[in-house]
Amino acid sequence: MSIAPVEEEVTSTDGLVDPDLPWITLVWNDPVNLMSYVTFVFQSYFGYSREKSEKLMMDVHVEGRAVVSNGSREKMEIDTEALQGYGLWATFQKDT
Amino acid sequence: MARGFRRRGHGKNLRYAARLDPLERAVIAGLMEQVVELLDPPSPVAGPVSGESDFDHIVAGLGGLGMGVSVAAEDQDVWPDASSVPADARSFGELDPALQRLLPAANREDEQASAEFRRLTEAGLRARKAANLELSLKALRREGNAVEVDATVAHAMLVALTDVRLVLGERLGLRDDEDVDALHSSLAGRSDDDPVVHAHAVYDFLTWLQETLAEALLGGLERG
Repeated sequence: MSIAPVEEEVTSTDGLVDPDLPWITLVWNDPVNLMSYVTFVFQSYFGYSREKSEKLMMDVHVEGRAVVSNGSREKMEIDTEALQGYGLWATFQKDT
Repeated sequence: MARGFRRRGHGKNLRYAARLDPLERAVIAGLMEQVVELLDPPSPVAGPVSGESDFDHIVAGLGGLGMGVSVAAEDQDVWPDASSVPADARSFGELDPALQRLLPAANREDEQASAEFRRLTEAGLRARKAANLELSLKALRREGNAVEVDATVAHAMLVALTDVRLVLGERLGLRDDEDVDALHSSLAGRSDDDPVVHAHAVYDFLTWLQETLAEALLGGLERG
């Protein structure tokens, strides 16, 4: 019988999988897209209410960016692709 | 005199109608055609042809990724006044900044994730944007001053107008809100035949037209 070497303990620590932290989709402000259009996109793509869509649109406009959705990386990539399809300046990243 | 989009009818008969004369339609269609061209990859990613070496296939694939795209000559055709594109706009490597705006890097923290995203989505995004533009072009090329489209085409046209305005905005140097003010104040010092003045007038016209369509479609959402 051998005692597990110290290295193995270290290895097992390294092997710990990060919990599946949520990812986010961001929309960044740009000078071209219209406020009405951005609201329309949030409402029609995400199915958000008019009120929530307008709030997010104003966040983008005033803060320079807004988190518009969160979830798995795969879902955020789908949202980013769809929003880029609409011409919005969308990106995805890990929520930190 | 142009009239913006309005909603007409209900349910299956719902239409979005505007009045645009032949010149106005030609200006919009001309810009849409240019954006279709901009979105068209110079060497499409084709499936491996028999007898084609792996190397050729890889090179073709690189073309499809948009690397080495040079639309500099086309830029000259569109806006002879190259000074309207600030020098720093060329700092996105080989990619045309307008194309870069249509297909932006999708992850600002991780270049590798952006490259992977681009590899997976670029062809589809280019195709979808081109399809929106083509649908809109079809509607604009019909005879008569009335543009009347159903909800599907109205939606496509709304997105197509966005992409045209993004490209035109990029050519006019509009990258943040301050650029809009700077452009407005620079217009006073320009002569009427300055291409930037003309481009700005067209941009304003497209903005107005898109606003009417966005409002009409938002109204359509409210009605369910």
